[in-house]
Amino acid sequence: MSAGVPAVAPPHRRWRTGPFWVALQIALSGSLLLLFLLPIFALFTYAPVSRIVAAAGNVQVREAIGVTLYASGIAVLASALLAIPLGYLLARKRFFGRAVVESVVGLPVVVPHLMVGLGLFLLVLPGSPLYAITNAIGFPVYDTIWGVVLVMAIVSAPYTVLASQLSFEAVDGRVLESARSLGAGPGTTFLTVTLPVALRGIVAGLLLTWARAVSEIGGILILAYAIYPGGPYNGPVTSTISVYIYNLFQQGDLADAAAVSSLFLLIAFALFLAVRLAERTGWVPWRRGDLAP
Amino acid sequence: MSEWVVDAVEADLDAFHLGPVDLTLQSGRAVAVLGSSGAGKTTFLRTLAGFLPLRRGRLLRDGVDISDWLPEERSLGYVPQGLGLFPQRTVFGNVRYPMELRGRLDANVRTEALLERFHLTALKHRHPARLSGGEQQRVALARALAAEPELIVWDEPWQALDVEARRELGFVLSDLREAEGIPVVVVTHDPGLAFSLADSFIVLDHGRVQLSGGPLDLLDRPSNAFVARFVGYENVFDRAALEAGRERPFTSWLLAASGSEGVALGTPVALPTIGVPSTWEGVVRSARPNPEGVRVEVTVDDLLVAVRLPRPWPVKLPAVGDRLRFNLDAEMVHPLGTGARGAR
Repeated sequence: MSAGVPAVAPPHRRWRTGPFWVALQIALSGSLLLLFLLPIFALFTYAPVSRIVAAAGNVQVREAIGVTLYASGIAVLASALLAIPLGYLLARKRFFGRAVVESVVGLPVVVPHLMVGLGLFLLVLPGSPLYAITNAIGFPVYDTIWGVVLVMAIVSAPYTVLASQLSFEAVDGRVLESARSLGAGPGTTFLTVTLPVALRGIVAGLLLTWARAVSEIGGILILAYAIYPGGPYNGPVTSTISVYIYNLFQQGDLADAAAVSSLFLLIAFALFLAVRLAERTGWVPWRRGDLAP
Repeated sequence: MSEWVVDAVEADLDAFHLGPVDLTLQSGRAVAVLGSSGAGKTTFLRTLAGFLPLRRGRLLRDGVDISDWLPEERSLGYVPQGLGLFPQRTVFGNVRYPMELRGRLDANVRTEALLERFHLTALKHRHPARLSGGEQQRVALARALAAEPELIVWDEPWQALDVEARRELGFVLSDLREAEGIPVVVVTHDPGLAFSLADSFIVLDHGRVQLSGGPLDLLDRPSNAFVARFVGYENVFDRAALEAGRERPFTSWLLAASGSEGVALGTPVALPTIGVPSTWEGVVRSARPNPEGVRVEVTVDDLLVAVRLPRPWPVKLPAVGDRLRFNLDAEMVHPLGTGARGAR
C-alpha cells in the first residue's frame, strides 16, 4: 500500500451523482433556458444598440414605460390589499362553497385575457349604469389608467391569492399558539407572527403578480387601448408599453418594435435582478431566519 | 405564586374525548403527564392553555374561574411540541417578544438578563433555525419566562435532545420551580427526567386518567403495561401471553398474580451459587454488564425474564445456555389492569 490508493472505492462514491445524470440535468435545464433566451437574443440582434439608446431617449417610449410601471404598481398594491386577506381566508377557514371560491380565483388565469377586457368593456359601455357611476365618482375606466389598473389587477391578483394561501397554510399552528400564550391577541398574532412568517411566499406572489401585470396586453387592448389623462395620470395621451410595441409592429416598424422591447427587457431584468440580489444579501425582511443554505 | 386547580375538566377534539381530569398545583410543584401516544396528553395541555374550550369542569387560578379566559389572558407559559419559536426573529427578538407586547420600557435590559441567565448572550443575533436543539430549548424557556408566567406548561421538553442537554434542562427546570416557585406541567416520555423533576404524575389513557399520584404510587401500582415499562419494570407480561402457557409452572404462577392486563415483575436478583434453595430456574440468553452488575436475560417456560447479578462481578460472565436461579418475593409482583391491588 505505497501509493495510498484505496483498494476499494470509499462508500461515499456511491452517492455521488454519476456523469450521465449530470449531463441529463444540464441538457434539460439548458434547453429550457435556451428557449427563454433565443427570442430575447433575436430581439437584441435585430435592434442595433443605437436604436435601443434612441428608444431610451424617446419621450413617447418613456411615457409608455412610465405609465406601465405606474399602473402595475397600483395593481400590485391593490392585490396586496385585497388578495392577501382572501388568501388568508382560504388558508385558515373552512366554509361552505370554498371550492367554488378557489375555482373563481383561478378563472382570470385560465381565460384568454381578451375576454376579461371584453367583459369589463361591456360593463362600462357608455350608457350602462356602471359607466355613469364610475364617471360620477371620478373613476372613469374606459381608455384611462384606471382601466389599465383594473385589467392588470384582475389578471394578476390570483397569483397573490394562491401564493399567500400556500404561505399562510405553511405557518406552523404551534408557533401561533405560542404567541397567543405569550400574551398576543389574535390580531397582534397575525401582524407580528403570521404575516412576517408568511411574508416570503407572499412577496414571491406579489413579484409574480407584478410581472403578470406588466406583461398584460389582451384586456388592455380592449378596455384601455389609449390612455387619456385622468385619475392619477395627467400626462399626454399614451398607452402601455405592451400596446405601444404592438402598435409599432402593426405599423411594420420592426426595428423600433425590437428596440423598445429590448429596452423594456433590460429594465425588467434589472428590476428582477435587484430583488434577487437584495434577497441574497438577506437585508429584506422576508428572508430573515431562513434555514442555513 | 398562584395555586391552580383543574376541577373535573373535560374537553373534546373532533371525536376524541378528554377527561375528567382533576389536578391541584401549588407553587413550586411539578406534575408530569404520562401516557402512550394518542392518550390525550397534548389535548390536556392545550385545554389548560386555552386553545380548546372546556366541555365540563372548571379551571381555577387562585380561586378565580378562568375557564373562559382567552389564551393570552391566562398568564400561562405554554411551550408546544417543537417549541414554537418564531423563525423570522433572532434569539433576542424571540425572548423580547412578550415584553414588546406588554410595552415594557425595560424590555432590552430584561431580555439581556434572561439571555445571560440561559447562556444565550453569544447567540442572540442568530435565528432559531441555526441553533442546536438544546439552545432552542433554552430560548423557548427564556421566552416563556419573559412573559412572567404563573404556570409553565411544556409539551415534551426533552424531545430530540442529547443526554447532556437533557440533564441540563432538567436542572434548569428544577431550579426554576425551586427558585421562583413557578409550578410546571410537563408531558414526557423520559422516566428518568420525569422522576427527577416531577413530584406527582398523571397517567392518561384514551383520554381518561388512569392513575394520579406520587412516584411511589406509580412504582407500587403501575396501572398498565405502559406505566410499568415507563417507571422501569423490565419484566412486563401481557395476560394473553400468559394464558397461552398456563399449564407450565412459572407461567401459571404469574397468571395467578396477574390483573386483567397482565403482570409486572421487579427485576429479581440471580443467585449464582449452586445449592442455595431458590424458586425458579432459567436458561441464560444474554448477559450484559453494567455499572450495577450484570443484566442477564433468561428464559423460563418460554418467557424472557430479566434478572440481575449484583456486583462484585462474577469470575466468569454467565454464558448462553447456562442455568441461572432466582427468587421472586411477593412484593416484587404487581398486577396490571383492573383487579390490580390498590388500583383506583
